[in-house]
Amino acid sequence: MKRRNVAVIGCGQTKHSSRRRDVNVAEMVSEAVYNALEDAQVSAREVDAFVVGNMPGFGGVAQPEQWIAESLGAAGKPVLRIATGGTTGGSVGQGGYYVVASGLHDMVVAVAWEKHSDSKEAGATTGLLHVGLGNFFHAAGYGLSLKNLVATSVVGAAAGVAVYQAMFYMHRSGCGIEHFDMVAAKARRNAAKNKYAHLQWPGCTAEDIAKTDIVTYPFRYGHICPASDGASAIVVAEESLARKKAKQPAWFKGLASYTDEENQLQSENFGGVGVTDPSEQRGCWLSAVKAYRMAGIVDPKTEIDVAEIYQPFPSQELFFAERLGLFDEGTAWMALETGETEIEGRMPLDPSGGVNATNAIGSSAMQRILECALQIMGKAEEHQVPKKVRNALAHGWGGVTNYSTVTVLGDTPGR
Amino acid sequence: MEGKSEIVEVKTFPFPAGFNWAVGPMMERFIRTLAGRKVLGARCPGCGYTYVPPRSRCGQCQAAIAEKDVVELSGKGTLISYTNAHVAPDGNGNLKDLEKPIVVGAVKLEDADSVLFMPVEGVKPQDLKIGLAVKVRWREETKGAVADICCFEPVG
Ligand SMILES: [Zn+2]
Repeated sequence: MKRRNVAVIGCGQTKHSSRRRDVNVAEMVSEAVYNALEDAQVSAREVDAFVVGNMPGFGGVAQPEQWIAESLGAAGKPVLRIATGGTTGGSVGQGGYYVVASGLHDMVVAVAWEKHSDSKEAGATTGLLHVGLGNFFHAAGYGLSLKNLVATSVVGAAAGVAVYQAMFYMHRSGCGIEHFDMVAAKARRNAAKNKYAHLQWPGCTAEDIAKTDIVTYPFRYGHICPASDGASAIVVAEESLARKKAKQPAWFKGLASYTDEENQLQSENFGGVGVTDPSEQRGCWLSAVKAYRMAGIVDPKTEIDVAEIYQPFPSQELFFAERLGLFDEGTAWMALETGETEIEGRMPLDPSGGVNATNAIGSSAMQRILECALQIMGKAEEHQVPKKVRNALAHGWGGVTNYSTVTVLGDTPGR
Repeated sequence: MEGKSEIVEVKTFPFPAGFNWAVGPMMERFIRTLAGRKVLGARCPGCGYTYVPPRSRCGQCQAAIAEKDVVELSGKGTLISYTNAHVAPDGNGNLKDLEKPIVVGAVKLEDADSVLFMPVEGVKPQDLKIGLAVKVRWREETKGAVADICCFEPVG
């Protein structure tokens, strides 16, 4: 198969916060796009096409690409919208790769965003309306009405399934709630070094997090990601442009995305599907295996230098790190204890603070790719990992709760 | 098997769906200024294209448009296309016949490049023509809402 070499040559974000009431969606998304274009030192005119996306239906706008296109400089150019739920940003980033690797376009902008504050009750309303409905309605297909479904106590979208994931992981790995305190504290400390991040808490400790009340065991308020407004964008180019425009391009070396069977809302029972452990996340594992093979990575434990893992809940940083092959099964929490996953550690996880500190949903998986690109380009500023980054791993999770994207970026094209 | 299965029928949703969109500073200024019976536009500093309502990024040349680029328009314009609506929603998911058709026109405002689609009143159907000079008719009480613009009507 003939694929062109492709790289990220520019990155742009907005500051993420609870309420960007000073801008509308088009203005907010444009902010990230023009920051990315400035970083890449290219003008909107030089861009061939745009790949865009946010969480389907969030903000109550059905076809946001129609609204924002002119502001982005996409008038008269191909605009491809991709929506894969919580993983949207990861798919948008990979979409940017596909359209350039295929030879269809030479330089594109890929941008993803969310604007929770356009919902009257941030997160809850839009989330329930658009994610909840999709989830509930497949259950209706199994003969479960909404009333019966609530009675089974399985509702709660990502937050609901994350509790089950965490419990399964704790039971099989020996990890405790105190490790989730540690991950959340690290996320807030790291976020304090990232000027675009939302929940910043310099010097936050596990003890600080442990003081917050339990929501649903094992999660405390201090464990849970915020609902953020924000956007993130990358400029993606083919090899000759990339070498001309960027001192150190961040090359796409391998990527894949797989889905599991839905493992939420008891559909594994009522739908007759065999997923019993919601933290198994076979889609993540399959994505990682495929992406490593494409990238020529044999031993991710030693060849991956830094990883940005999609972890709205702290348990997810741990079991996804294992599913991604960065640690042996059931051992990531031990590496956390010894500081291996800190910015200065052997295997830094989410040096940006990750999704646990900033969650503009559609944007979140894009930010993982963007942050990996920053680490390779040496532009991560205060949260730049001290070691030389040759390979960085960007993970996305969502869909409903079972769709994964894995993207390996590197300092060389690698093929 | 004959007949339809209706084991699960969903008629209502057990949660609210409220939205509260931020419109951005340019649109907010446009809406608030309508209270004073003024129509604002924004002239692109890069290419001169003038938008109504105002916006912060030019779709033609991608230049940033700032508060300083906001211009006041006369509220007069030219009809560049129109149609007649004979039915309207009845509020129950169906359509009802109107007693008389409503004219909806595309109006290009003086000194602007973009177009507003609004009802046109005070003109007999046989007098409708492309190029008709029209102006804003304001509601009796304006309060800073898009509905302050009641419709367009012929000049004079
Ligand atoms: Zn212009």
